Parts: sequence; structure tokens; C-alpha cells
Amino acid sequence: MTSASINSGGRVFAVALALAGWFVKFVAVVLVIATFNFILVHAAPGDPAQVIAGQSGASDEKLLAQLRAEYGLDKPYPIQLANYLKRVVTLDLGYSYRQQRTVASLILERLPATLLLTATAFTLALLSGIILGTLAGVRAGKWSDTLLTIVSLLLYATPVFWLGLMLVLLFSVQLDWLPAFGYVTIGVPMTTLQRMGDIGMHLILPAVSLAAVYLAIYTRLMRSSVLDVTHQDFIKTAKAKGLKQGRIIIRHILRNAMLPIVTVAGMQAGALVGGAVVIETVFAWPGLGRLIYDALLQRDYPVLLGVFLVMSVIVIALNLLTDAIYRVIDPRVSVRAAS
Amino acid sequence: MTDKTLLAIENVSISLPPGADRPFAIESVSLTVNRNEIVCLVGESGSGKSMTAHAILRLLPDRTGVAQGSISFNGNDIAKADEPTMRRLRGGAISMIFQEPLSALNPLARVGQQIAESIITHTKPTPSKEAVDARVQELIRDVGLPDPVALARSFPFQLSGGQRQRIMIAMAMANNPALLLADEPTTALDVTTQKQILALVKKLQSERGMGVLLITHDFGVVADVADRVVVMRNGRVVEQGTVDEVLRNPKDDYTKSLIAAVPGSRSLTKTDRRITGEPLLDAVGLNKTFITKQGMFLPPRRTDAVQNISLGLKARETVAIVGESGSGKSTLGRLIMRLIEPDTGSVHFDGKDLLSQRGEKLRQMRRKIQIVFQDPFAALDPRQKVGDAIAGGPIAYGTPSKEAMADAKRLLARVGLQESAANRYPHEFSGGQRQRICIARALALKPSVLVADEAVSALDVSVQAQVLQLLAELREEMNLAMIFITHDLRVAAEIADRIVVMRRGEIVEQGETQKIFQNPSDAYTRALLDAIPGRTMFAGPGAKQAEVASA
Repeated sequence: MTSASINSGGRVFAVALALAGWFVKFVAVVLVIATFNFILVHAAPGDPAQVIAGQSGASDEKLLAQLRAEYGLDKPYPIQLANYLKRVVTLDLGYSYRQQRTVASLILERLPATLLLTATAFTLALLSGIILGTLAGVRAGKWSDTLLTIVSLLLYATPVFWLGLMLVLLFSVQLDWLPAFGYVTIGVPMTTLQRMGDIGMHLILPAVSLAAVYLAIYTRLMRSSVLDVTHQDFIKTAKAKGLKQGRIIIRHILRNAMLPIVTVAGMQAGALVGGAVVIETVFAWPGLGRLIYDALLQRDYPVLLGVFLVMSVIVIALNLLTDAIYRVIDPRVSVRAAS
Repeated sequence: MTDKTLLAIENVSISLPPGADRPFAIESVSLTVNRNEIVCLVGESGSGKSMTAHAILRLLPDRTGVAQGSISFNGNDIAKADEPTMRRLRGGAISMIFQEPLSALNPLARVGQQIAESIITHTKPTPSKEAVDARVQELIRDVGLPDPVALARSFPFQLSGGQRQRIMIAMAMANNPALLLADEPTTALDVTTQKQILALVKKLQSERGMGVLLITHDFGVVADVADRVVVMRNGRVVEQGTVDEVLRNPKDDYTKSLIAAVPGSRSLTKTDRRITGEPLLDAVGLNKTFITKQGMFLPPRRTDAVQNISLGLKARETVAIVGESGSGKSTLGRLIMRLIEPDTGSVHFDGKDLLSQRGEKLRQMRRKIQIVFQDPFAALDPRQKVGDAIAGGPIAYGTPSKEAMADAKRLLARVGLQESAANRYPHEFSGGQRQRICIARALALKPSVLVADEAVSALDVSVQAQVLQLLAELREEMNLAMIFITHDLRVAAEIADRIVVMRRGEIVEQGETQKIFQNPSDAYTRALLDAIPGRTMFAGPGAKQAEVASA
């Protein structure tokens, strides 16, 4: 069977069906996760009404009952869960009693910083990992390969927070090249361009710290993957065609070797968002990680639930994106699903 | 050297890295290929035939290289040529095709692109896209593939084995090479496809006056296409000459043994094995349809692998199931063993319904039906010692481990290996030896039925003959009934009492081996018989013996 037998109208229809299938799965998974989150948070000891009342200084029974009624906390758990899921479906994330703001606005305020940090770190780790791993793979056994192996093992073995602190000591305290913490310099009037540059300078250390471990993983993975592919028959075919080594690497080895990286990177992209909590705390980076940390200390359950939900949506979306990318890179997958 | 000579290899030795079991992979090999002829390089695996061909384009594995001798192509010594010169030759004046057409093509690139790459690399200045596309389509048409435009846009996995090998050939023809190196180009293909590919190579060769160095382990192939033959063993040339000289009148003993090993070159076994009685294994009305899900809202793909097949196997009888890839023969073998469940139909073993057995009863029944697989490399756990692999089955059925290990050693000796093999790992053995280990493992359970699924297909012809001989002996000693699944009618003829020919999930013909060979009633069976390589030379089993005698 050849691809010619699939007419283009059929293919568009098939893709539309596949997208619809994805969407149904997506919504189902989000609802299951929301349910889990709800159960987990409510399994923890403590009564949000008492927390709120405690903070306002008064704690008589009448106020508590009034607060419970106001937030729907007097209803049985299943009803509360149903109400929560209903709100989730309508994209209403709730209200933070503690901060007196909607959860959505809190998250929207913090989300860009986290996305900027994780996306930068991820891109950095992925690109350098692929490049360094390829270099190591095609020079397997030579000194440059050994050096890369040692460096990546060191990076892999270093705790993230320690690496972050050491980088601050070196580049901020000793050399004074880069700011030690924060998102942007406060109290200095700046043009948009200056502001972007300033954020960029603040971004370097946390992004590098966050990327380090992943960079090490991708380098190792890419190296072994390149080695695998190098020994396959079609590389011999490429050589027998008279191609230059550089072209063989770029056209034949790289794309095949990247398949396992895409799989792993897709799974880790989500973990990266969670991993940012430590880095955001070390570098006082005003992102979702800090928001969770603070909400946890303050028992701000709506915020916790909201952040969990947003993070899981991001993870699921990234997984779908990985699927899609895989389909683009590997024709065997796309046709199996859409022929 | 005459000006007809295209390639002359003189006294070439290839050194192996220090620490290998021998200093040279090939030693003092000399051979020539003229314009417009096909030279077959014949030998078993490990004979150095592939190394010789790879040395010509300097595609040798790392840390090996031409230590001495000269390789001259068109009068120029290329053994010491620099890398840019070699790159110009590769895919230019000398091109190469390989054994496994699936792994030899980049799985992620369209085949048209892969052919185009070959054109672009060797054409300066870079031709226009239209010119390249036109040339790609012309090449695809030249190798006998339909609908070149659509085919050029296909990915390798969408093509059959034969189509892929044609694409490889198209790629090799891209720059009108003077010399084609073909490294076992048909070994991985079905016989009918093999016939077509060999015919294609021969046609392209004579149309273009190309020199071809074709590597094979099968004298049947040699008989069909070669002008001259070079026989190699253990890295040395043992005999060479024209195809008639070597085939009709081989001088070297090794050549003689290789020719004798071609399955089907011997006359059919005519001894009556006195097989009577009720079937031991009786399958009736088997159906199996595979349904592949393709996504939530897409209709699943249906493949009718086995359609309404009934098959009886008497005690001690050997039935060969013959068919090409995709004919459903392996599925049938697995259904009979209940490794997969049929959709409908029944299987009775020793009078009992195999399909309704559960738990311990099923387990006891399974012990009586064992299987040997095609790929002896994949069929053994690389981290399990051979002895443990063989003894593992009996131990699972309650034999004390000491006794089982002693049995395992006896079996190893019986299948022609040393008892000490029990303490070694599979990677230390050759393909033929591993297949012997697999046979020992299957027989350790003392089965009454052995299913051999392409058990000798991955082996060299000479090793194939030995393993077939071993199976023939063992079935008498152990009173084994055998289901012998193969794509090769010659092999089936060697061992089977009865042959069942399958095509697209259905039986097209069945009958006694001699009857099938002498008087095939179905057109497809006749096509399969016609495709047997070397049939004209060896006359084939069952054909008039006079042809061979007169030669």
C-alpha cells in the first residue's frame, strides 16, 4: 500500500477525527486529575473556614457557619466535588480567601515568569544536549567524548539548588556579572527594550541551573542514540552513495537519533515546570513555583488546586504536542494513525 | 590486465584489529570483474566475501583496513586513493546494494529523496529540482515499479521487501555505474521476489554493459545469473572459473560440498516412512482475522490472515507449510499451537480439544507441542547460559535441576555441540550453532509435535543442509511429528512427507511432496516451483534426473 491511495480529502477528515479524539481524551484526563487533586487537598487535615476566620482574628461559631455557607463548605464532599468540577469545566478556578483575589488572576500574573524560565531552560537543555550528544557520539572513544561524558556526569550528579547557589557565588558575588535573584531590577525607570534586557540578565542563572541536569540527560541519551544509528545499515548505504560525513550526520543520523530524545523530552517538559519550584525559591523568581510554595504554607487550598490544575493542563498539552511532533518526525507513526 | 577488465583485486589482505581471533579477515585474495559480466562471489558467512566487496569501496568496519595488495578500477589503483576520490567513486562509478532492504533505507526519508540525494551528490553543477525529479521517476520506472510519482513520495515502511530492494537498485543505478557490488541482494526475499530481482539485475547489467560482483551463499543463485564464479572460504579464494567449469566440474572439495548442499539438488526421499493412523493434531475450519485499531473514530484495518483452514498431522509425519511472506503460514503455525486464539475453528491434540483446556491441563498439553523460531539470534536470551535455557523448560515441569542439566548436556551433544556449551552464552555461537541450541531447547521437553517456523531460513545453505539432516534424524529417534513452515520449496522437499501451499490465508494446494513437485495442479504452486533458483542447472527435485546426468 502506498500513500497515494489516501486521497487528500480523506486525510483532512482523518486528521480532524484524530484531533477530535485527542480533545475528548484531553478533557477526560483533566477532569480525572481535577478529581484527584480535590480529594488529595481535602484529605489533608484542617478546615479552610477556620483558617480564614483565624486570620481575621475572630472565630465564633456563627462566623464559621456563615463562611462555610458562603464558600459552599457546608455541603457534603461529593456535592462540593461536583461543584468544583462544574467550575473547572467553565474555566472558573475559584477565589483565594487569603489573597482576596481570583485564583485565575493570581495564576495569570505568575504564569509568564514560569513559562519564560522553563521554556528557556528546556530549549537550552535540549539544543545543547542534542549538539553535545551528537559530537560525543560521532567521536565516541576519543578524548572529546570522554571529556563530554565526565562533564555531563558531573552536571547530572550536582543537586540543583547547590549548583544554583554556586553559580550565584561565582557570577554575582565574585564577578558581579549577573544579578543574583529576582525577575527584574526594581525602582529603575526603563524602556521596553532595556526591561527585556534586564529580565534576560536575571534569567541566565536560574535557567542555566534548571537546565543543567536535563542537559546532562539529553547529552547522554543523544550520544548513545547516535551510536546506535551510526551502526545501522542505512548509514552504510549513505556512505556507499558517496555522501560526505557532515551530510550523513545531518541528513541521516541526526533525525533518526532524535526520536528517543523527543519521547523523553516530552515527558520531562512537564516535570520541568514542577522542578522549577526549587529554582524559583533559590532565585526568588516570581513564578508559579513560588506561588505554590506560599499557598502551601498558608493553606490556601483554592490557589493550590488552581495551580495544580494549570500545571496538569500544561503537562497534558505538552504530551499532546510531543505526540504531534513525533508524528511529524516519524512518518511511520503518522500514517499508522491516519491512513 | 586487458582493457576488458573493470576491476582487478590482486593479493589483497584485510587486517583485523589486534586481539581478534586471526590477524587477517581475508588473505591474498585476487579476482577480476570484466565489463559486461556477472561474477558471483560465493561462500558461507565468515568466509570474507562481504569484506572483500566492502574493501573495494573502502566501507570496511572501523579498525580494519587493506593491509596489502592492490585494487585497481579502470586501471587506477584505488586501494590507497584519498577520501575525496573514494567519495566520487561511491555511488558514482561503483555502487552497492545490500542484503536487508528494510534497514538499508533511511526509515524517515521518502524513497524519492533518497534516490535524489544520490543524483545530486554526483552531479555538478547541481541540477534543477525538475531534472532531478524526472530522473528519479525514470529510475523508478527502470527498475519495474508502477506509478513512479506516488512511489517516490512513499516511505520505506510502506513498501514490500521486493519493492524496497528495487528502490535500492534504482538508487545504485542513479549515476550509471560501471560496476555494481551486490551484497546478498536477494537473501532476505521470498523465492518469487528473488527471481524477479535477479532477473532485474541481469537485465540492467546487460543493457548497460555493467560489471556486477554479486555475493551469495546459494549456488542456486549462481547457476541462474553468473558468468564466472569465485568461491571463498576462511578468507581465501579456493576456486574460480566460469560458471560451467565450477558447477559442472568443481575441483575443490569445499566447492563440491557447497554445491551438494543446495537444497533440492538431491533426489527426493522416496523411502516410505509408513505413516498411518488418525491425526495426532487435527485443526478444522480455522479462521483468524487481525484487526488493527487506528484511532478513536477511524475504522480498524482488517487482515484475514487465515481463512477456513483445516490441517491434520499424523504421528511422526512432517508437513511443510509453504508460502511467501504474508501468506498466513506463521499465523497458522501459532494457531495450531494455541499461541494465539483462532476466531473460529477447532484444534484437537491427541483426541482432546486443545482450545477448551485451562490451567494445568493446558500446561501439560503445551509441553507436547514445541516451536523453533526463524531468527536464532533473537530466539535466545543473551544473558542466559545455554544450559539454563535448555534445562529451564523441564525444570518448570518438575524435573530436578541436576537431572535436567544432565539431560541438557546430553541433548547438546546430540545436536552436535560440546557438552561444555552449557556453560556458555549464546553470543559465543554461530547462527547454525544457535539454531541447534534452539532445537535442543525445544526437544528438552520431549514433545510429540515440533513446529519449525522458518527454522533454517536464516542459515547459509551448507549449514541449512546440516540442520535439516539433524532434524530428519531427530524425528526418527524421538518419534516427532513436525510442522515445517518455510518459504522455500526446496527446503520443504528435503524434509516433508506432505506439502501444503498457502497464499493469502488460504490453502491453494496440498499433497504428497513428490506429487506437488512432479505434478503441481495450481498455477501458484507452479510459479513457486519456477522461481526456485538454479532449477535449470540442478534440474530440481522430482524433475527428470537425466538432465543432471547428461551434464
